[in-house]
Amino acid sequence: MALRTTTASLAVLTLADARFPGGGHAHSGGLEEAVHRGAVSDPRQLREFLHGRLHGAGAQAAVFAAAAAHAAARRVHPHHWSRLDAEFDARTPSPAQRAASRAQGRGTFRAGRAAWPSEVLDELLTITGSPHHPVVVGVLLGAGASGTPVEAAFVTAYLSVSGPASAAVRLLGLDPFAANAAVAALEHEAEGVAEAAARSAGESPEDLPGTSAPALDLLAQEHQRHHREEVRLFAS
Amino acid sequence: MQAEHRDHVHGSDGHRHPVDFDPTAAGPDPFPPEGVGGRPLRIGIGGPVGSGKTALTAALCRTLGEELELAVVTNDIYTTEDADFLRQAGVLERERIEAVQTGACPHTAIRDDITANLDAVERLCERYSTLDLVLVESGGDNLTAVFSRGLADVQVFVVDVAGGDKVPRKGGPGVTTADLLVINKVDLAERVGADMEVMLADAHRMRGELPVLAQSLTDDPAASAAADWVRQQLAAHRSAVGPAAG
Amino acid sequence: MRSAASLTVELDGTGGSVVRGLRSAAPLTLVPRRRGTGAPGPAVVHLVGSATSPLGGDDLALRVRVEAGARLLLRGIAAALALPGHRPGGSRSSISIDVEEGGTVEYLPEPTVITARAEHRAELVVRLARSARACCRETLVLGRSGESPGGLVTSTSLEREGEPLLRHTFEPGGERLRASHGHLGGARVLANEVVAWGRDPELPRSEPDWALLPLAGGGSLTTVLAPDAVTARRRLAEARAVHPAVEELTPADGPW
Repeated sequence: MALRTTTASLAVLTLADARFPGGGHAHSGGLEEAVHRGAVSDPRQLREFLHGRLHGAGAQAAVFAAAAAHAAARRVHPHHWSRLDAEFDARTPSPAQRAASRAQGRGTFRAGRAAWPSEVLDELLTITGSPHHPVVVGVLLGAGASGTPVEAAFVTAYLSVSGPASAAVRLLGLDPFAANAAVAALEHEAEGVAEAAARSAGESPEDLPGTSAPALDLLAQEHQRHHREEVRLFAS
Repeated sequence: MQAEHRDHVHGSDGHRHPVDFDPTAAGPDPFPPEGVGGRPLRIGIGGPVGSGKTALTAALCRTLGEELELAVVTNDIYTTEDADFLRQAGVLERERIEAVQTGACPHTAIRDDITANLDAVERLCERYSTLDLVLVESGGDNLTAVFSRGLADVQVFVVDVAGGDKVPRKGGPGVTTADLLVINKVDLAERVGADMEVMLADAHRMRGELPVLAQSLTDDPAASAAADWVRQQLAAHRSAVGPAAG
Repeated sequence: MRSAASLTVELDGTGGSVVRGLRSAAPLTLVPRRRGTGAPGPAVVHLVGSATSPLGGDDLALRVRVEAGARLLLRGIAAALALPGHRPGGSRSSISIDVEEGGTVEYLPEPTVITARAEHRAELVVRLARSARACCRETLVLGRSGESPGGLVTSTSLEREGEPLLRHTFEPGGERLRASHGHLGGARVLANEVVAWGRDPELPRSEPDWALLPLAGGGSLTTVLAPDAVTARRRLAEARAVHPAVEELTPADGPW
């Protein structure tokens, strides 16, 4: 289970840092809507929300991050990026979630290119216009920062829960120690998700595993709908 | 059918401007040079809650809207009703206003992680390729909040007399480093017991050479002095890159 | 038990669709509905002892081909139960549907109930030609009343000219995962309906327990979470009512 086979690179730590200026702080990953519904209001409920989020949306993002890191390190044909992009879209039926992923991808691209520029990264942008977040993370690590697929998957899995946990602190005034502990409690599961994702990293885009999380899809859409009528503080 | 992501705003280098092939067209260069000069001037308007940022923004839009192509990014808690209100007030078309969701951290969105704001500016620039000016209004914040220089070329910090005449003396990066400090609602000074002389003296002492402007939008709804300052900034922005740009 | 059934539907000379090739393979029985020759309309085939009533050890495969311009309505008769079998290993059912130019398939099975200790894997692969249309429904009931479901993985793949429109894999997981609002939100029934009909909703529609989602590459997916199958069916109907192709879809509640 342990990920200790690699020493985390500075790039990994930087990408996972809440201070990384890639726009992630404005996304709650469905948590704001869950709070609005009364489904999450205390640390225990937050822990359960994060657990579900990690194994659904987080696992899928990790799969694509690992695959992108694998492909970036091998300098795949640029067409590969459009296939990966279309396959991620096909596994993300919610337009709100696709938009949130591309928004965070764009932000991570902008911030990441200043730190870890690469030709592959520019190719990704040329091909996809506005790349998905996990793919950008994978390319930043795989091409610019000599990171591994499992690292890309691990960062992405972590980001799938750390953002919502921080949002819970801001929305609920939750005890930040409890929120932080809720993330830390997922250590072994996040490692498991990352290792599973790394095992499929070399597969053809159409064969990459997907995991749907229908409750999260509904939260994402309702978040977007409600924002037209009342204030939502987060972009997703 | 695979077109969805073409509707998205593209990444910082990926956006395309419409190309006009009509040789007689007198439109701007569709491929402006890289860097500050090739894009609209971005002015940040920050300050504490209730100091009058939105009122100043609205006044600038009314005054400058005729002579300049402008747009607004707001970081305030914001619903479509607010946009409707601005539009109905005749200040700005709704399409020229982009609201940023700050994740309950308005100072983060204008300073530490400016991604969402840059995205909003890019969306406006794609919608209106000839923009002269983008006003970026911060959410109400405290005296320590400033705009990142990566987001705003110049910034205005707005305080008001009702917040107490000690505000300039307290300092903080907004008061001390903003390119323009506006002391707002001076018509209320007497009623709230604020000493304008003290406020102005403190402000100048804290800011050295940087300008301070006392105004009342009740007495001057056009915000004439602030508008003049904006015109100067725009002229400086344009001359910095030569007459062809902008 | 391994079985492989197949079905081909083509256009007859009068504009109606007819079943041309049909091979049932126990326990998969395909029953075409009789109708007068030359009558217009789709070919209607019922799946009896359907591909989704498997026992452990079963491996059921159905291949369907809808030829150019033909229309097939493939439906279930009764709810299916995924049950543990006498032999080790889970059950697997796979349905693969190819639709040629101008062809249409509607696959409207009844709900599948995942009983305790079932280990079921269901795959649906639909490949569409450029102008083909499809509507496929799936209703999963996680356990009979008061029962925890066994293991389940369902995947739906929809392609048009080789381009992916939807790759939807669902695994309810254990009790903790099912209860999480970040995954299944404690719902007992999950229902989906994917529609690729050429005309898609321009904007998503959503309510707290259902959403009609335009897909990136064309087509739409309705997702419903419900406490029971009757409610799920009602929500699917609500979503259909706002789909631009609603008039052309065969009503899911009959008459058959």
